[in-house]
Amino acid sequence: MPKKLGIGVQTQNIIEDDAPREGFEILREVGFSCADFSLNAYLKNKALYQQKLNKFFDKSDNELEQFFAPHKKAADEAGIRINQMHMPYPNYVPNGKKELNDYLRNVVAPKSMRICDFFGCKYIVIHGFKLAYNLGSEEAEWERTRDFLDFLAPTAKEMGITVCIENLYTGIGNHIVEGPCCNAGRAAERIDRFNDKYNAEVLGFCFDTGHANLVGIDFEDFITRLGKRLKVLHVHDNDGISDLHQIPFTFTKSRENKPSTDWDGFIRGLRAIDFDGTISFETAPVLTSFPDTMKKDVLSFIQKIGEYLSEEIASTTCHEQK
Amino acid sequence: MKVATTLSGIIDYKRPGQGTSDIISAGFENAFLNFDALCSPYELENTGRPVIEQEADDDPQIKVSAQPSYMHKLLHPLLEKCGGKSINEKRINIEAAYAPYLPRETKHGDEINDLLKELTIESIKACAAFGCHYLIVRPLFAGIEPGAEFQANKEYYISLAETAKQNNVILLLENQCSNIGGHLVRGLCSDAQTSAEWIDSLNETVGEERFGFCMDTGICSICGQDMREFAIALGARIKVVILRECDGHNENSILPFTGINTSSFQNEWLNLIRGMREINFDGTLILEYAGTVSAFSPLLRPQLISLAKSVADYFKWQIEIEAALKKYKSIVLFGAGNMCRNYMKCYGEKYPPLFTCDNNKSLWGTSFCGLEVKPPEALRNLPEGCGIFICNIYYREIQKQLRGMEIENIEFFNDEYMPSFHFDRLKRNDEMGD
Repeated sequence: MPKKLGIGVQTQNIIEDDAPREGFEILREVGFSCADFSLNAYLKNKALYQQKLNKFFDKSDNELEQFFAPHKKAADEAGIRINQMHMPYPNYVPNGKKELNDYLRNVVAPKSMRICDFFGCKYIVIHGFKLAYNLGSEEAEWERTRDFLDFLAPTAKEMGITVCIENLYTGIGNHIVEGPCCNAGRAAERIDRFNDKYNAEVLGFCFDTGHANLVGIDFEDFITRLGKRLKVLHVHDNDGISDLHQIPFTFTKSRENKPSTDWDGFIRGLRAIDFDGTISFETAPVLTSFPDTMKKDVLSFIQKIGEYLSEEIASTTCHEQK
Repeated sequence: MKVATTLSGIIDYKRPGQGTSDIISAGFENAFLNFDALCSPYELENTGRPVIEQEADDDPQIKVSAQPSYMHKLLHPLLEKCGGKSINEKRINIEAAYAPYLPRETKHGDEINDLLKELTIESIKACAAFGCHYLIVRPLFAGIEPGAEFQANKEYYISLAETAKQNNVILLLENQCSNIGGHLVRGLCSDAQTSAEWIDSLNETVGEERFGFCMDTGICSICGQDMREFAIALGARIKVVILRECDGHNENSILPFTGINTSSFQNEWLNLIRGMREINFDGTLILEYAGTVSAFSPLLRPQLISLAKSVADYFKWQIEIEAALKKYKSIVLFGAGNMCRNYMKCYGEKYPPLFTCDNNKSLWGTSFCGLEVKPPEALRNLPEGCGIFICNIYYREIQKQLRGMEIENIEFFNDEYMPSFHFDRLKRNDEMGD
């Protein structure tokens, strides 16, 4: 029997705090088995870049557990596994006040880890620091991210959580260029070194298809180089110009109407590494784009794309094994 | 480091007199020759297919794709104006050239690759006729299975090496895009580390440095690549850098700094300059702006080429920014604001100034970033061989002031492309002083 991959979607724009059961029930109905819990929705990146901080993470651990207990219960009852979570980002605001950055490191990050653990979630995605402009090099930038990861690692090890770094982009003027973690070979070396240091799988990778598409990364090559270090996915699509987080296969740029994102390469790459995780969609903006009354239909469509990808990845793995 | 202009769009190969004259008048001594002007990707794509419409031509029966050696005859008029030496007239030195190449979206299979090889061999010989040292040869891709690219290209490049050696030409690989449904993404040789390995393997096989790399910044830009990282991975293998702007997603050849969108630039030159400095780049910078040339009226072309020369010189100056500092036994700065602060952050330790000065009287006698701030009058008593670096955006105004004081050795410093930046800026209203 071919391996069946999990199929998930981010919870933002689906799960409401005042009625989480409803959202998880929709996910169950349309066939999702997993969810990427959007913890980042509680501390928005736009606000952080404007140095605005809300009080959500001022809650004590107990208060946070109480707050998320209905979410956890609803997910459990719907049979949805929270397989991955996104930590609020950025974890460091360049040009930000010291108090803000201290708070992000010493309060938001540890509490995020505890919430992840509370949900029984094994993977939490973080954004590497975007500091190459100021510090002058990707290496210097990574040093700062590594320092942050060193801070998280003992907790991650204790909780059995793998922190996942993600390929990011950065904007210079009106131009999008590769940001942190866009060199797969280097990321693989760093992950190995880090995990050796802690003698545990405390660091892994999250491959973001949309970000990779924006900077023309070769999906197959990137995924293959990462191999088993690739733990989670952010699957979404864009026009190659803006980070739109749309439904895969919807963008074309030529009269042949073939996809302008390399989904074949994506499948080949995951097949090559025998990926056995979750096809997780990061497509929250789709749900505000379509009429609210179509939410279930849209989610169903996304889930079916997940099934297609899952079958394509798994069936050929099976075929190759024969 | 040399700077060179493209000939594309400027030179009419059959009648090159005016174009070469414009280039020489603009101050360029070096140029970049594109053999695809004689055998275009379009012509190559239609090779072996019925000719629907005969192009108007002086000699319509002969196409370079049908008879590659015919390339040399077509180059005769240009050869009279470029390359070699002449006592009577100034000539343009051809620094590098492009071998003909297929369009990215070719429908050809590998049967076309023999013709490409033949055209490249003729291009190598043509380079020799011009005294041109570098030929850019794009990797083969038509009909090559994924995963077999290196082996196929290794055989191809090695088969060219002997001719290249005989003609004293270095063959340069170049970073390419691939087309995924109309979206240009990273293609062959766009991974710098892999390209470095290819080049090393090729050179090792032929037992000499016969292969190098041409870094096309336009492709790096389309693919959103960090050009510092790219340059460092290839290091001294980079012999030629093509400077051109695209709009971030479509291929084009726009004059650097002119490809703007809503007042913001669309190429990031910071990392290129950082990378070029770190690898001590000493090759050739080629300005490729054929798109901009074609958009301008021929009447404005001389001014455009002059602007292009200034842009090329600016890049050279930025990359070699330390060269100006090294020229002097000692230096002083003019300006006690953010630019001075940035100087001190990045160069203060290596090239410590004696002091800085400023027109702002309230700063005189104070200390700024460890430097004493003196009045401009202090510049009258400098030691011999001391350079004055203006660290203030009012360059020309201050230069005029200093020249009025009959002060020499005036230089500009610039902090737009620094090796690193402070996280904050000083908030002083009047950096210029009164």
